[in-house]
Amino acid sequence: MSMQPVAVNPWRHRWCLLTLAATLALIFIGGLVTSTGSGLAVPDWPLSYGMLMPPMVGGVFYEHGHRMAAATVGLLTLVLAVWTTVDERRRGVRGLAWGALAAVAAQGLLGGLTVLYLLPPAISVLHACLAQTFFCLIVALAYSTSREWRTAGVTTDEVGLRGAALVAAVVAYGQLILGAVLRHTGAGLAIPDFPLAFGRLWPAFDRPGVAVHFAHRLGALMVLGTVLWLLGRSWRSADPRFQRPAALAFALVVAQIGLGATTVLSGKAVLPTTAHVAVGAALLGVVWFTALRAFRLLRPPREAHAVRMAALGDPA
Amino acid sequence: MITRNFLALLALCLLGVSVACGGGESPKSEASAPAAATTGAAASTAASGASTGTASVSGKVAFEGTVPPAERVKLNADPKCAAMHKEGLERWQLRVKDGGLADVLVYVKSGLHGTYPSSSEPVLLDQKGCDYWPHMVVKMVGQPLVIRNSDDTLHNIHPRPQVNPEFNIGQPHQGMESKRTMEKPEIMIPVGCDVHPWMRAFISVFDHPFFTVSKEDGTFEIKGLPAGEYEVEAYHGKLKTQDLKLTVKDGEAAKLNFSFKG
Repeated sequence: MSMQPVAVNPWRHRWCLLTLAATLALIFIGGLVTSTGSGLAVPDWPLSYGMLMPPMVGGVFYEHGHRMAAATVGLLTLVLAVWTTVDERRRGVRGLAWGALAAVAAQGLLGGLTVLYLLPPAISVLHACLAQTFFCLIVALAYSTSREWRTAGVTTDEVGLRGAALVAAVVAYGQLILGAVLRHTGAGLAIPDFPLAFGRLWPAFDRPGVAVHFAHRLGALMVLGTVLWLLGRSWRSADPRFQRPAALAFALVVAQIGLGATTVLSGKAVLPTTAHVAVGAALLGVVWFTALRAFRLLRPPREAHAVRMAALGDPA
Repeated sequence: MITRNFLALLALCLLGVSVACGGGESPKSEASAPAAATTGAAASTAASGASTGTASVSGKVAFEGTVPPAERVKLNADPKCAAMHKEGLERWQLRVKDGGLADVLVYVKSGLHGTYPSSSEPVLLDQKGCDYWPHMVVKMVGQPLVIRNSDDTLHNIHPRPQVNPEFNIGQPHQGMESKRTMEKPEIMIPVGCDVHPWMRAFISVFDHPFFTVSKEDGTFEIKGLPAGEYEVEAYHGKLKTQDLKLTVKDGEAAKLNFSFKG
């Protein structure tokens, strides 16, 4: 059975993709701010040293550069929200667009608070988590404006893809929250070796940060497990629309574990540490997209059965 | 206006007394590396039962071992800093001259009784040549700390205390000065610039005037101690601490020597 096609301006879809790419770049740029220790290189907000454009030297280059990139994403999102309001018939999508705008505005405020209150860990963690949430909102907006969303037919989820994708997305999001806590509480090197922890499989939790760091390592294994489950389900489905993103998610998990190891073994060198943040976001984006796709294109078997029975005239 | 004049007069008196009675170095006493300023309150009048005296302790902080070579820090992150140090900024982990170790905080750790009034003479922390001068700032609680930007580039001053309130000040223009006080005793507060990550200094805050920083040759002197038994600590940022016991009588010029190994 096909859904009724919804008319969407393809340029609005392309604008969503542009915003998505810009957001991923912004997550990387934001990661650079923390990785280079530049979070407080600009002590004031919303101006920078009392200026709209300060000299872009040292840590100011990263921090003010981040503010400029954030303003760009904010502007892209504002345009998207207004355009969606004018152009979109679906109320849910209009709500999603304004939700994204509210999220990016809240991100700006949180960024200001982190500067004015000298990087309190709770606000820094919230700033990091909201960035990932905003990214997921843009993924949803981009997919909801795609041709596939508008025109593809619905089939039965014979292999449990919906559940597998949703679990992978939830676990990935939880792992990102743990990563943010680890990063902004200074626990990145609480366990200085890899793959063991102080030379053991299970460390003693007698030093600050060891617990959250080890939890993040266990979380990585959970993400790997759920992505492997998703990959297996997608292969059973023999549907390339799920096989390809599942394979990409697997590749990203492997890369992410490698980057995590490199981060620890290099003593938190700037590039691998920042790449670890960005690849984490990309992985979340891929599994979240896969879950959205699964819920859009697949119906659960019980529902499929009910539809077939209804078509045959069976009231049960 | 009257209050300002009174405070200025008091500062001048305290300065005069400090010159007469010693008690530390002035901010500009060394040409190559501006010495850490002490409060100059070594001979101030007593308050709340605290007293100063006529004893002194002097000595040398020696260093035995291999001095790590200086590193050259590239300052490319800021063209104005790079222009000031074309070959890079030379940084020594340990500054040793004639067997003596510089930049060691030496202070009376215990044995004092009562409270001492703070000095109103401001202590200067200058940002000059994209580095801090001095690297070791010492002051009393409540004593004004003046932070100056002598560079034609922007700096932020960001101390990270554990006890005193943290702050972060931007100084985008040459000649800007900011004033802060720290109201609680705390030693070796790291200070950094988030714009120029190679810049590092330490601030130590005391509730008494018996402290100093060792000179280039490792020598130090603390004056105005009342008679008594004390514990004196020497604290180097890299080599950490040594504590020695000291007993002085009125008028005695005691000798105390520390030795760090590397």
